[in-house]
Amino acid sequence: MLLKRQLPLFIMISVGLVTLFGHFINNETIQDFVNNDATQWFDIIASFAIFLGALNLLKLQLQKITRKQNNWQYSILAVLGFFFAIFAGFFFRGTNFVTINSFNIGHITPISQLIADKIGDDIVSIETKLLDSEGAFEIPFIFKLESSATELSDALSEFGVVSSVDSKPWGSHLQTKGSLFYWIFTHIYTPLSATMFALLAFFVASASYRAFRIRNFEATLLLLAGIILMLGRVPVGQLISGWFIAYLIVLFSSMVLTPFISNKKIVLGIILVGLGLVTVAGFMNGWNVDQPTFLYIPIIQEWIFNVPTTAGARAIMIGIALGIVGTSFRILIGIERSFLGE
Amino acid sequence: MNKKQLILAGLFILSILIYYFGHGSIFITGNEPMFVAVIGVSLIFFYYIDRARAGEDIYLRPIAGLKAMEEAVGRSTEMGKSVLFVPGISDLDQVETVSGLVILGHVAEMTAQYETGLNVPVSKSIVMEAGRESCKEAYLRAGRPDLYFDDMVHYLTDDQFAYAAGVNGIMVREKPAACFYQGKFYAESLILAETGNSIGAIQIAGTGSPSQIPFFVTACDYTLIGEEFFTASAYLSKKPDLIGSIKGQDIVKLLLMVSIIIVFVLNGFFQLNWITFDIIKFLTSH
Repeated sequence: MLLKRQLPLFIMISVGLVTLFGHFINNETIQDFVNNDATQWFDIIASFAIFLGALNLLKLQLQKITRKQNNWQYSILAVLGFFFAIFAGFFFRGTNFVTINSFNIGHITPISQLIADKIGDDIVSIETKLLDSEGAFEIPFIFKLESSATELSDALSEFGVVSSVDSKPWGSHLQTKGSLFYWIFTHIYTPLSATMFALLAFFVASASYRAFRIRNFEATLLLLAGIILMLGRVPVGQLISGWFIAYLIVLFSSMVLTPFISNKKIVLGIILVGLGLVTVAGFMNGWNVDQPTFLYIPIIQEWIFNVPTTAGARAIMIGIALGIVGTSFRILIGIERSFLGE
Repeated sequence: MNKKQLILAGLFILSILIYYFGHGSIFITGNEPMFVAVIGVSLIFFYYIDRARAGEDIYLRPIAGLKAMEEAVGRSTEMGKSVLFVPGISDLDQVETVSGLVILGHVAEMTAQYETGLNVPVSKSIVMEAGRESCKEAYLRAGRPDLYFDDMVHYLTDDQFAYAAGVNGIMVREKPAACFYQGKFYAESLILAETGNSIGAIQIAGTGSPSQIPFFVTACDYTLIGEEFFTASAYLSKKPDLIGSIKGQDIVKLLLMVSIIIVFVLNGFFQLNWITFDIIKFLTSH
């Protein structure tokens, strides 16, 4: 019980208090602990914990395969991917390259031709680089297999080139363009991540459709605000004049009034008078496309974004900040222990 | 003022005096407003926790999302399907994740009582360990330790979109009847919530990420917005200590609202040249 409850609680409270008061106490050691050590400790613990996660993942996937549970075929892919990444990261660098130590200047054209053919580069560029190189010249191409690099080296030796095959050091091979791990990153990981991210576009569309359906007053407001924001942020929104919006307001107002006025002629009269007033006011004041400004869509969208939206977002943020303060306080004084299992 | 209030007020003044006389040598100069805020807020919390412990009845307004949790687990039981709980993609250094795990404990207790399956895919190993501990204790508390197994909380991947893909796969294959999203979320929130919506699951979300709240509100049946998410523990456990701190939180919020109004009025007077005191300059220069 001591190791499972009291000790973690003691560590949590003491480290929490030191971190909190570290912001106020003028002591270099405490400052260093708050700003560097504490976060580094967390990173170290998290790095060790990753083994637990990886082993758990592997265990579950292997269990699925051996017990032939539902959709076990997918688990084969997961296990293969797991070991393939480990193989590329820890056991196979795949970062071989050829370094030309010396060559006969008379053979520069066939040498450059050979290199250009091999690495798919321009012969002139290779020639220039060879001539500019002082001492050793590293051919700018990574061979995943050592045999491929040796093959090029052997071919070069036929022209009297003295070359060697080397490999990038462990660790840096992860970020070396052309290595197997880098290939996994650019050809498998990045496209898959991009695919998932791209799905958002469709999900945003379906979610917006549901949110914008006119069900009640709030949904209607949301729809109107959404339309104004969308129009105000695209070039076509700048072409919609204030006049047009004023006409729309007149038509919308008469639509609202219609249920209350039974005589349709009066409704028509209201519409015509309204439209006429807008037209006269526009001509008398010489309204441009962006006038009157309070009816110009880019201005309205800016106002919606800066005033009501910001006000709402800030209210939520204040609530969240208070919630975080409250939760942190409960954890610090040890009354919130549910996440420890109590 | 009673005796306890006097003691707390005295402590408040004393700590501010200590800071004032020690600033520069013992304490950092420039952090005074923050120190006053921390001490003030802490003492308010202490005061209301104490009152709750003394037996004062504190009203908590009903929160639909929290009430619906049991309903969601019940629905899963009736349909014979499992419950999916997603504690976000952040590590245990985020308060939202801690709050998510607190809610997980309560949900696990419900699933244990209802004998319903619980599936908790996580994206951080430390969260996996903490989640397991939380679930284990919840099943024990519910008197059903036999139903608990470690792998109900399992690791998927650390990567954001790979995790989203993994959880989506679980949803589409297993079709859980209830999905809980409680923790810190980023862009994956809508991907998860829309997939959950497409399989017809009852969805309850809660997050402290302001930018993800609109997505959850749109796609989920219930959403714990802002501080509601952080009060879940007090609400579900009904412990006086925790409920007292929620009351303290509300009092701090009230004080903040009053402060906002005072600053607004003073700034208005300054803008109109009725007073020379610039409150905005005073606050931002400290």
